[in-house]
Amino acid sequence: MKEQCKDPIQVETLRREIARLEQSPARSRGRPISSGCDPLDRLLPEGGFRRAALAEWLSAGEGSGATTLALGAARQACRDGGALVVLDRHREFYPPAAVRLGIEPEELIVVQAGSQADADWALDQALRCRGVAAVLAWPERLDGRTFRRLQLAAEEGGGLGLLIRPLVSRGEPSWADVRLLVEPLPAEPLLSRKRRLRIHLLRCRGGAAGQSIDLEIDDETYSVHLAARLAHPAAHRRAAGA
Amino acid sequence: MCIWLPDWPIQQLTAARPELKGQAVVLHETQRGTERVVACSARAVALGVTVGMPLAEATALAGGWKAEGGRRKGEGSGFRVRGSGVRGQGSGFLHQRFPRADDYPPDPSAFRLPPSAFPLPPSAFPSDPLADRRALEALAEWSARFSPIVGLENSTAPESLLLDVTGLAHLFGGEASLAEKILGDFTRRGLTVRVAVADTIGAAWAMAHSAFSIQHSAFSTQHSAFSIQHSAFTLVPPGEVLPTLRPLPVAALRLPAETVELLRQLGIDCVGQLEALPRDELSSRFGPELLRRWDQAIGRLAEPVPMHGQPPQLEADCSLEHPTTRRETIEAVLKQLIGQITQMLLELGHGAMRLECRLDCISAGPARPEPVQLSVGLFRPTAAAGHLCSLVQMQLERLRLPGPLSGVHVAAAATAPLLEEQQELFFLGDGLSRRHDRYLAELVEHLSSRLGHRSVLRVCLLADAQPELAWRYDPLVENSRRRNSRKQLPAELPPRPLRLLRRPVVLSVTSLIPGGLSQFSRSENGTVPFPDDGIRSENGTVPFPDDGIRSEHGTVPFPDDGIRSENGTVPFPDDGIRSENGTVPFPDGEVVPLRLLSFQFCGRDQRIAQHWGPERIETGWWRNRIVGRDYYQVETTTGHRYWFFRRLRDGRWFMHGMFE
Repeated sequence: MKEQCKDPIQVETLRREIARLEQSPARSRGRPISSGCDPLDRLLPEGGFRRAALAEWLSAGEGSGATTLALGAARQACRDGGALVVLDRHREFYPPAAVRLGIEPEELIVVQAGSQADADWALDQALRCRGVAAVLAWPERLDGRTFRRLQLAAEEGGGLGLLIRPLVSRGEPSWADVRLLVEPLPAEPLLSRKRRLRIHLLRCRGGAAGQSIDLEIDDETYSVHLAARLAHPAAHRRAAGA
Repeated sequence: MCIWLPDWPIQQLTAARPELKGQAVVLHETQRGTERVVACSARAVALGVTVGMPLAEATALAGGWKAEGGRRKGEGSGFRVRGSGVRGQGSGFLHQRFPRADDYPPDPSAFRLPPSAFPLPPSAFPSDPLADRRALEALAEWSARFSPIVGLENSTAPESLLLDVTGLAHLFGGEASLAEKILGDFTRRGLTVRVAVADTIGAAWAMAHSAFSIQHSAFSTQHSAFSIQHSAFTLVPPGEVLPTLRPLPVAALRLPAETVELLRQLGIDCVGQLEALPRDELSSRFGPELLRRWDQAIGRLAEPVPMHGQPPQLEADCSLEHPTTRRETIEAVLKQLIGQITQMLLELGHGAMRLECRLDCISAGPARPEPVQLSVGLFRPTAAAGHLCSLVQMQLERLRLPGPLSGVHVAAAATAPLLEEQQELFFLGDGLSRRHDRYLAELVEHLSSRLGHRSVLRVCLLADAQPELAWRYDPLVENSRRRNSRKQLPAELPPRPLRLLRRPVVLSVTSLIPGGLSQFSRSENGTVPFPDDGIRSENGTVPFPDDGIRSEHGTVPFPDDGIRSENGTVPFPDDGIRSENGTVPFPDGEVVPLRLLSFQFCGRDQRIAQHWGPERIETGWWRNRIVGRDYYQVETTTGHRYWFFRRLRDGRWFMHGMFE
């Protein structure tokens, strides 16, 4: 027999209760970290990334712009003190570009682990460290256990873990607080240097997933703006859930 | 005995530049992006400048004082201009961390005017703790005339000399005359000092710092050192330490500022009140530091004078009667030896910067296997046995011993003074960040121990036009060059990709010279490729035969690309090639912006929607590796962005990075 709950207030209370239970005590500490761009903040349920959590960025191919956006969040996280640890296993991270994006060289620690196991260990250690404001990593494979361990490490350390992953990991389970897909959009001739991206909110704890926004990044100033979507009615409909 | 030199950084500066004596002098450093005053002279204090104030505000205050001072109008404004000039100079020195006071150009106005005729405008200098420390160390050497055992107080910014005068006083005719002699000698050097003699270092320190109600302005206004000559030392009679300490403020116990503040909030202001509290609770409530300092002050805990100078050899070894392979035993032995070393270090007031362990093993065969060496580098000096053990253990876990262990040798190969408060490793200012630093230091040491110190790096930007040489990584541990000599990047630097391939990958790009009929492109066999993409060669394959061929790692397939510089950074084989007359091969090549149409990467054809460039980079002639490249930023029709360059020497295209 199925009981119907008719009282909307009770439903709302229960929903809030679930949301409360979903949040571990460590997570509710502190105000959220801005992503560095207002439209993306508005997309996220708390107006930013939660501290002591992981944020997963799925990058649609090379040169998509996902790291640029992640570094924007890292810069915001470092504002309250603490370092940014970049786990650059493949030694392809280019620090001058990060400095151009506003990362202070003094607060940047680059770790070049040799093996996958070392890289996972270093990622765990960096997340666990309370002096680290943000960790940026490109983990290749993440099984459920490792992922869960990383999430617990982030909860302990209190920093923001920014994991940039290829699109193929979309189907894998995630322990991240937020999972975003960053997809570049074809250029519009009038936009000149501005770079267009679409961000899909694939997964988000305590918020509605499935929304997407279009952003423009100005190459000169690295300011990020909401892009007009009028030119793409199909995308608009898709975003609206139609 | 304790000799306190109040406001040592300022005293040091005025000793080096006598014309600043009695003037408003401020020292500043960058704290979280703002230049803040870290020390100021009495004259500056009188103007309302306080420590922690932004430099701009301090300068404004000084300017205000000028106006109030009733100087003639013309002179006053003239000084103000100079004042701002000094400020500009100060910020210019920001990135050059350790300018010496005597490096500054002599100030002509200082020579023109007698120092105390009327006050000069305030002078601002960047703070230089290292130089201050060195100067104090020099002073400690000079002070060896009073006692063979002279040391600096244990602090990030020491201001006191500690002398062991046990059994020496009679040589100078008693403690009082020794103290007077010291006062006189320091005063002749132009230094203001406070001297106290007591049974313990802690008590002497406390008395030197607080026995006189020192008004900040009392000591460096003009030349007041002589006026306090007779009252500037205190002698605490033997056995009278406790009664003397009781009325003193708790800060006299050399406590961290947080502890003092906490005690103040609880209404505990003087040492006597502290004594009345239950001893057991002090440690749990206020941390172990309070009890340690208290015990040191009253002589319950021995505190040797931290000797200034070369520390003796710090090593310990142990040979095992019964060689063993048992991990537990090996770890226990290491722990014991490390414990011995840290004990020695603590007595010296030093911490290890590098710990080396040699594990001697035996084997069944006649040949004795090479001893196994472990080396642990540290980010900051430490004498914590547990921490060192865990770092050594981390390496031990990953090690295979060639045979049973017969002997262990542990040595502290590099040491540094153990600082009460760690030096700031990053440019962060407040208490919160200090805590960050401590955690970060631990993280860096852990990572370095397991991954090797060349894997945990800090970034130093270099002003090099060649993109792959525009920065340098320095190891974070065992690195004395802590401060970043950051060169300002040119503001107009075009965008750079976040991912730079370690070795550029050869591409094939279809391009046009705009406005011309001739197609410009490259193909290995020299045939003319088609300007538009999508066109296949006759047999239906990719039109550019050289393309798509890659080594296993997906990098450059060409055999000539294996040339690298010693540090492994410069992968370009073309760099050494010059024309016959020894010049750059294409120095006069005018920049021809090409129109790029499509390219092939990873076996896929990609159409180029738009591109920016070229940005010509021609550099490296002084390295004898000439680089000439035209860089293009390319966006494909799907919106992905890449960074290409065309090698000017042969027109080959390379993918160098991705705008991730």
